[in-house]
Amino acid sequence: MPEERIYEDLTLVRRRAGTVFWIFLALTVLVVGYYWKVQVLEHVKYARLAEANRTRVRVLAAPRGLIYDRTGEILADNRASFKVSLVRENVKDEDASFAEISRLLGLDEPTLRARVEFHKDLPLFEPIVVADGLDRDAIIPIESRRREFPELVVESEPQRFYPKESLAAHVLGYLQERTPEEVRAGTPSRLRAGEMVGRSGVEKQYDDILRGEDGSVVEVVDSLGRVQGAQAHQYPVQGGRIDLTIDHRLQSLAEEALAGREGVVVALDPNSGEVLALASSPTFDPNRFITRFTPTEWLGLINDPLSPLENRAIRGLYAPGSLFKLVMSLAGLDAGTITEATSVYCSGATEIYGAVRHCWFAPGHGAMNLTDAIKNSCNIFFYQLGRRMDIDEIAKAAARMGLGAKTGIDLAGEKEGLVPTSGWKRKVLGEPWYPGETISVAIGQGQLQVTPLQVAAMTARIALRGKSVPLPRLLRPEPESGAAAPPAAPANPFKEAFFERIIAGMWKSANDGGTGQGARVEGLDVCAKTGSTQVMSRESAERLARAGREVKTHSWFSGFAPREHPRIVVTVLVEFGGGGGATAAPVARRIFEKFLELEKR
Amino acid sequence: MMIDRRLVQEIDWVILALVILQALIGVFFIYSSSHFLAGNYHVRQLIWLGISLAVLVFVVAIDYKFFVSLSVYFYGLIVAVLAATLVFARLVAGTKSWITLGLVRLQPSELAKIVMILVFARFFAEYKGAYLTASTTFWALVVAGVPLFLIVLQPDLGTAMTFAAIVGGAFILAGLRRKTIALFIVAALLAGVGGWSLVLKDYQKRRVTTLLNPQGDPRGSGYQVIQSKIAIGSGGFAGAGFMKGTQSQLRFLPARHTDFIFSVIGEEAGFLGVLIVAALYLALLARMFLSVAKARDRAGVYIIFTASLLIAFQFLVNILMIIGLFPVVGITLPFLSYGGSSLLTSFVACGLVLNVKMRRFANV
Repeated sequence: MPEERIYEDLTLVRRRAGTVFWIFLALTVLVVGYYWKVQVLEHVKYARLAEANRTRVRVLAAPRGLIYDRTGEILADNRASFKVSLVRENVKDEDASFAEISRLLGLDEPTLRARVEFHKDLPLFEPIVVADGLDRDAIIPIESRRREFPELVVESEPQRFYPKESLAAHVLGYLQERTPEEVRAGTPSRLRAGEMVGRSGVEKQYDDILRGEDGSVVEVVDSLGRVQGAQAHQYPVQGGRIDLTIDHRLQSLAEEALAGREGVVVALDPNSGEVLALASSPTFDPNRFITRFTPTEWLGLINDPLSPLENRAIRGLYAPGSLFKLVMSLAGLDAGTITEATSVYCSGATEIYGAVRHCWFAPGHGAMNLTDAIKNSCNIFFYQLGRRMDIDEIAKAAARMGLGAKTGIDLAGEKEGLVPTSGWKRKVLGEPWYPGETISVAIGQGQLQVTPLQVAAMTARIALRGKSVPLPRLLRPEPESGAAAPPAAPANPFKEAFFERIIAGMWKSANDGGTGQGARVEGLDVCAKTGSTQVMSRESAERLARAGREVKTHSWFSGFAPREHPRIVVTVLVEFGGGGGATAAPVARRIFEKFLELEKR
Repeated sequence: MMIDRRLVQEIDWVILALVILQALIGVFFIYSSSHFLAGNYHVRQLIWLGISLAVLVFVVAIDYKFFVSLSVYFYGLIVAVLAATLVFARLVAGTKSWITLGLVRLQPSELAKIVMILVFARFFAEYKGAYLTASTTFWALVVAGVPLFLIVLQPDLGTAMTFAAIVGGAFILAGLRRKTIALFIVAALLAGVGGWSLVLKDYQKRRVTTLLNPQGDPRGSGYQVIQSKIAIGSGGFAGAGFMKGTQSQLRFLPARHTDFIFSVIGEEAGFLGVLIVAALYLALLARMFLSVAKARDRAGVYIIFTASLLIAFQFLVNILMIIGLFPVVGITLPFLSYGGSSLLTSFVACGLVLNVKMRRFANV
C-alpha cells in the first residue's frame, strides 16, 4: 500500500499482536472443548447433581398402629406432638434471640446453646430441633408470636401415647429412637433418623406391623433451603392395629395387687393360651421414653436395683419351690414309684443320706397320701419320693411339663430357665450328680429355675389334663382368619388319671383347708398349689433365723378354675413375700373373683 | 467537534454490532437470573448500555491522539481518585472498590484500565526499538505500578490481574528478550510467594486452594465453583431453556447476574449457547486484534492491542473461573455481566479501537 510508506514501520508490533491473538484463539478453543466435556459428555452427572440440589425429600412420619386390649380399650395411642426448630440463618441478634427463645420454650440458655452448638456443622438454613414432644398448649405462645421469631419453625408429628400410663407396660414394651448405627446399617428407604422403634414387648415383637409406612414429600427448595413448592406427595400409611388378649380390667387389678412389691401376676385362658393379664412389678411409664428422660431419670431407671424395665414374667428366674411337687407327683405316678395309695408318715423331719431334712410344718403332717401331700405341701412325702427317683427321670417329666424351655409366647427376650440333669451337671460343672441334690430338686429347690410364665403354662397343661395346650400368646387371632389355628404344645404323654390325682390335691389345697385356701372363691372351684421358695441356702437361712432376723421366702401361687372345664389359670409370684399361702394366694383370689365378676357381666 | 462524514463511513460497524449484540444477550440473561430480585437489574443494565453507547460516541468523535496527549493528566487524576477511594470508600464485601457519585456507584479501578491503555500508548509511541531496554522496562513498571499497588490495596485482585495483563501485553508488544522474560518469571514467583504470605487475605488464599480442591470446603469458597459447574454441566447440549435453569432460578448459583452470568447461559442455553457466545467473542476479538494492521501509528497499535487484550483477558479468565479452571477472582464477563463500570469500560475500550481504526487515513 502506498500510504504505508509515509508511516513508520509497524510490522514487528503488528506481528506480535497477531501472535497474541492466535494464542488467545487457541486457548479459547481449548476452553470451549472443556465446556463440551462438562456439558455434553458429563451432562448426566451434573444433571443429577442439579436435581439433588433443588429437591429435598422430607419424610412424613407414619403414625404407629394402635394397640387395643380384648375389650377394645386403647392401650397405645398416638397424639400430635410438636417440635420447635431453630434456623440459625434467620437469627438476627444471637444473644437477644437465644435469651428470648429459651424463655419462650422454658429451656435454660446453656442447654439451648449446647443443642445448637451440637449441630454447628449443619448448613445455616437447616433447622435444628431445640425442643420436641411439646403439646398443643406449649406451642400456643410460640405460634401467637410467629412474626417476632422468624428463626423458629414449628412442626407436628404423630407421637406414641400410652393413655393408661404404666398399665401393661411390660406387655406393651417401650420405644426408643433408632441409634445412628442402626440408621447406618439399615436400608435407607425403611429407616429415618429420629424414628422410634419398639425396644421391648409387643412394640418390639410386632414392630413390623405397627410401624406403618412413612410418607414423603419431595420439595423443591432454593439455595437457602426455602421451600418453593412440593413436587410429589406420598401420604404416610398408619401401622396396622394390634388387638391384645389382655383384659385391661384384670391387668389393672393385677398391677394394683402387686403395687409396692416386686412380683408377677399371670392370668391366661388355658383353652386358647390367651394371656388375660401379665403384670410385672415394679413397672415404668412407657410415655417417658417418648417425652425423653432427663439423664438423671434415665440413670436412675437403668441402675434401679429392682430393675423396673425387666419383665419378670418371662425373664425372672426363680426356683419353683413347692410348685415343683406337682411335677414330682406326675413323674412318680408315671414311673410307678408311687400310686394313689402310697402313704408316707411325716413327723416334721426325716433323715436322708445322713442329713436331717425338715418339713415346713414342724409338728409334722402325720400319715400322708399323694392328695394330702399336695394339699398340705408336705416336704417329707416328696423327699421320700425324690429319694426313690432318678434325677434324669424327674428332669424328663419337668421337660414334658414345659419347664426348661421357652413357652413360645409372642414376646421377645423370654428366658428358658433350667432343669438340671446329671449330664448337664457333668458338662457345666464337671461334677457327677449327687443323690442328695435330687432331694432338693424334689421340693423345687437346688438348681431348678423357672419363669412365672412357664409355671402358668404348666398349670394350663395340668388344667387341661395333659391335652394339647395352645402356646400362651398376646395377639388375638383375627376373627375372620380363624383358619390359622394357633400353634400348640404337643399332647402330654402323662395319663389323664394322673392329672386327676394331683388336681384332687390342688382342689383340696384351696377348698379343704390346704395351703392354698387363701385363694378360695365361692362359686368357683379353684385348684391351686402354693410355694415358698428359699432364696438362700437352708443353713444361712437358719443362721439368720436364730439371729432373730426375719427370713422371707419368695411367695408362689399357681392355680386354675373351675376344676372341670377350666377357664382361667392364675400364677402369682411375690418376691420375698413370705409364705405362698399367706401372700400370693390372696392376690390370686382377687384375680379369680374379678374374673368371675367380669364373666357374669 | 464535528465528525467528518468520511470518518463515519470508516467506523467498523461490525465491531459495534457485535458489541451491542453481546450486551443485549447479557441483558436477557441478567433478566433471567435476577427477575426474582428487587432492583430491576435488566432495566438498569439497559440504561447503562445507553450511557455506554453515548460515551462510545463521544470517545469515537475525538481523535485518539488527543486522548493520548491528555493521558498524563488522566493518569494523575485516576491515581488521585484511587487513593481517595482507599481513604473514603466504605467497605463493601470486604473491599474498598466503590465510590458513590450521587446516584451511581463507580469502580475507579475499572476506569483505571482505560487510563492505563492511553498512558502506555503514549509511553511506547516513541519507543521504536525492536526490544525493550532495561530502563524503559523499569519506568514502564513504575508507571503501571502506582495505580496497580493502589488497586491491590483495595483489595481487588481481579482488576489488579487485568491490569497486570495489560502491562504484560504492552511489554510483549514492545518486545521482550528471553533474559527479560526469565527475569519477569523470577520476579513473579517472588511476588507470588511474598504476596501469598504477606498480602493476600485469607478469603483470597482460600479461593486459590479451592481451585485445587473445590470439595474441600463445599459450603464455603468451594461452593461457588461447585454450584457454577453443576449449572453449566446440567445445561447439557441444548440447555434447560430460558428462565428454566434450576440452578439460577432457585439461586444456587452465586453472583448469577454479575461474575457468573456465563454459568446462567451455560445452564439455560446449554453448550449451544456457550458456543454462540464464544463464537461472537472470537469474531469480535479477531476483528479487534487484527485491526492493528489498520492503525496508522505506533500509539494506535498499542491502543488497539491493549484494548483488545483487556476484553480477551477478562473473557478468558471469566470462562475459566466459572468452570473451575481458575481461582474465583471477581473478573466480570465483558459486555454480558451486570455492572455499569464494567460495561462502560468495555465500551470505551471498543470505542478506542474504533477510534484508531477509523482514523487510519487521517492526516497526521
